[in-house]
Amino acid sequence: MEILIYGTINSVALALYALGFALVYGISRLPNFAHGALYVLSGFIAWSALNTLKLNYLLSVVIAMAVTALIGAVIYRVFLIRVRGMEISEIIASYAIGLAILEGLRWGGFKGMTYTLPPFIEGSTAIAGISVDYQRLVVIVIGAALVAILWLFTHYTRIGLALRGMAQDERAALMLGIDSDIMAVVAMGIGSMLAAFAAILLLPLGNIVVESGYNVLILAIAVCIVGGLGSWIGAVLAAFLIGFAQILTVVYVGAHFQMVVALLAIILTLILKPSGLFGQQKELEERV
Amino acid sequence: MKTRRFFLAASLFLAVAALIAVAPARAAQPITLGCPLSTAFLYGWAAERGFKLAVEEINAAGGVAVGGEKRPFKVEVIDTRDLEPGVPVSEALLAVEKLILDKKADFILGGPVRSEAALAAMPLLSKHKKVSILTTGVLTPKYHAMVAEQYDKFKYCFRIHGEAKNLVGEIMANFAQLKEKHGFNNLFIMAQDVSHARGAADTIKTVAADKGWNITGLEIYPTGATDFSMGLLKAKNAKTDIINIWMDMPESAILLKQWFDMKVPALPFGSTLAAAEQPGFWKATDGKGEFTLCNVVNAGNAPSNATAWTMKFYDAYAKRWGVEPEGLGSSSSYMAVYTLKEAIERAGSLDSDKVVAALEATDIMGVYGRLRFDPKSHQVIPANEAKEGAVGSILQWQAGKRVVVYPKSIAMGEIQLPPWMRK
Repeated sequence: MEILIYGTINSVALALYALGFALVYGISRLPNFAHGALYVLSGFIAWSALNTLKLNYLLSVVIAMAVTALIGAVIYRVFLIRVRGMEISEIIASYAIGLAILEGLRWGGFKGMTYTLPPFIEGSTAIAGISVDYQRLVVIVIGAALVAILWLFTHYTRIGLALRGMAQDERAALMLGIDSDIMAVVAMGIGSMLAAFAAILLLPLGNIVVESGYNVLILAIAVCIVGGLGSWIGAVLAAFLIGFAQILTVVYVGAHFQMVVALLAIILTLILKPSGLFGQQKELEERV
Repeated sequence: MKTRRFFLAASLFLAVAALIAVAPARAAQPITLGCPLSTAFLYGWAAERGFKLAVEEINAAGGVAVGGEKRPFKVEVIDTRDLEPGVPVSEALLAVEKLILDKKADFILGGPVRSEAALAAMPLLSKHKKVSILTTGVLTPKYHAMVAEQYDKFKYCFRIHGEAKNLVGEIMANFAQLKEKHGFNNLFIMAQDVSHARGAADTIKTVAADKGWNITGLEIYPTGATDFSMGLLKAKNAKTDIINIWMDMPESAILLKQWFDMKVPALPFGSTLAAAEQPGFWKATDGKGEFTLCNVVNAGNAPSNATAWTMKFYDAYAKRWGVEPEGLGSSSSYMAVYTLKEAIERAGSLDSDKVVAALEATDIMGVYGRLRFDPKSHQVIPANEAKEGAVGSILQWQAGKRVVVYPKSIAMGEIQLPPWMRK
């Protein structure tokens, strides 16, 4: 039972890490290596709004998400648009921006373990004799709701349909009057907001440390590669695959190997099925 | 002609007088203390603050008497980043080399902070014959063992704070008390995947088993781990009484929050537990870290009256930095500067071999007791009484305060159990 409960929590956390990365790549084919940095940055924005500006929690959360979305959009409009289509340059540029953000935070004095966000609901309960705190249950519920909202957004709203159109065939979308640059900015904004959303949900479980930006990036990449780059449904499934594999590893092998699972998943996927579970990018090449 | 000579002489006189007037008084050349520290982490910044406080006090009092003149200390800090996950040891070595070659450090104080990096830096220090005093982070017993094994090569290396074997002894003494008082017998160990923590966890596992403890598990976590729930559940299911923790990563605060949320009926007893050492721990865990114990390695890193100097240092540090001494590295770094000053003055020189000999003869009463180095291993000599040697400090978080509970000679309170463990 404990494997089921904590496996689900871990999987939802991984899915939250990866959704923003998957969405941006799926729509604009941009591997946003600043994703982990935006996750950490949004945590510090929320913390500053809450503790320095003394705003209420809800407002701090909204500000953190809005500001992070704006920063993501600006990063694309100012920097990444210039290297669009050049994959290596996109990776280098976005990683450099991520590094600048994380090192900037460290330089600005955001170090140590004293930066925390309060949980939405204090306390814990027992499910089948296994004690779980309410914040983890909140993560599961809101995480599931987020996936549903994303599906509805991309299937039933004009912007969502435009984003899907661009993801399917950018040239055809252009012919239909969809501005690909604007859509890429929107995608980057939404992807960054999803990173912030993940941070707001998950950071109350721990503390906000600059170093976690690198971990989040690695886990997001692992989930997206296994799920298939560009497929956010694949990312959700891969999150469950890796999430449960990690928990089983902790229980039967040792916590020491927990991080190895994600890295091993990347290697195995690249060897056995480079396009991942639901990826389409290299499917034709694989068949050939 | 006479007028011309007069003007020439007068001009020369005025020029010389002007030169003398504008030239700065020849300041004594500072003694440079090179400090390789992982400054983004507690053990780094606490050490930096300890050094700077001591240097400011010493310089304000005139400096160091060496070779017939008073010379000030100067601190040069380089961030080694060696406590960060994924940063290779070579980065720390480059930092040490830069301090020696570029910053012309006369002595190396502080780190590298990670045990692996400090061990790797030993040959470098020998090559440049630089006297080094470790003051923070490095707990591996291998460090002073290497000095003892290859004295001629590594004689320049000293350590002025406690090490893992000593910490294990202190922890076991507390476990024995808890066993006697509460009947505890089941021990679960959680350690970070770094040299000193792995080594210490293995040691405590062996020692505790030899002393009749039932070891219910040993979990090693990668640096940067953020979820400890499965390990805590394992501990809970195995009816663990004490969870012994060896972690210096800031994420260890998460472990204590999870422990509280899951109401695990086992006392969290950190040996190295950087998060719980700091005064900010209470706020960081919203008070969930209450009853957590941790070893701050030396007295002075938490409030106590170990010596007459302890609270004097404590208050001066708090006044200078606006925060109390936060943990390992604070009092030891402060004392390293005073110890070095005293050794240099006795040696009458900055010559490395003379300073090594003087340091070996050190015998002063400091912030955390009598400071002497073992002449063979260059490890500071530990004790449970301040008049005999360097005393440690184990504290427990009680009602928002860090209360020293061990050793008895300096204890300010007794170990308490969380409500869900009280029978």
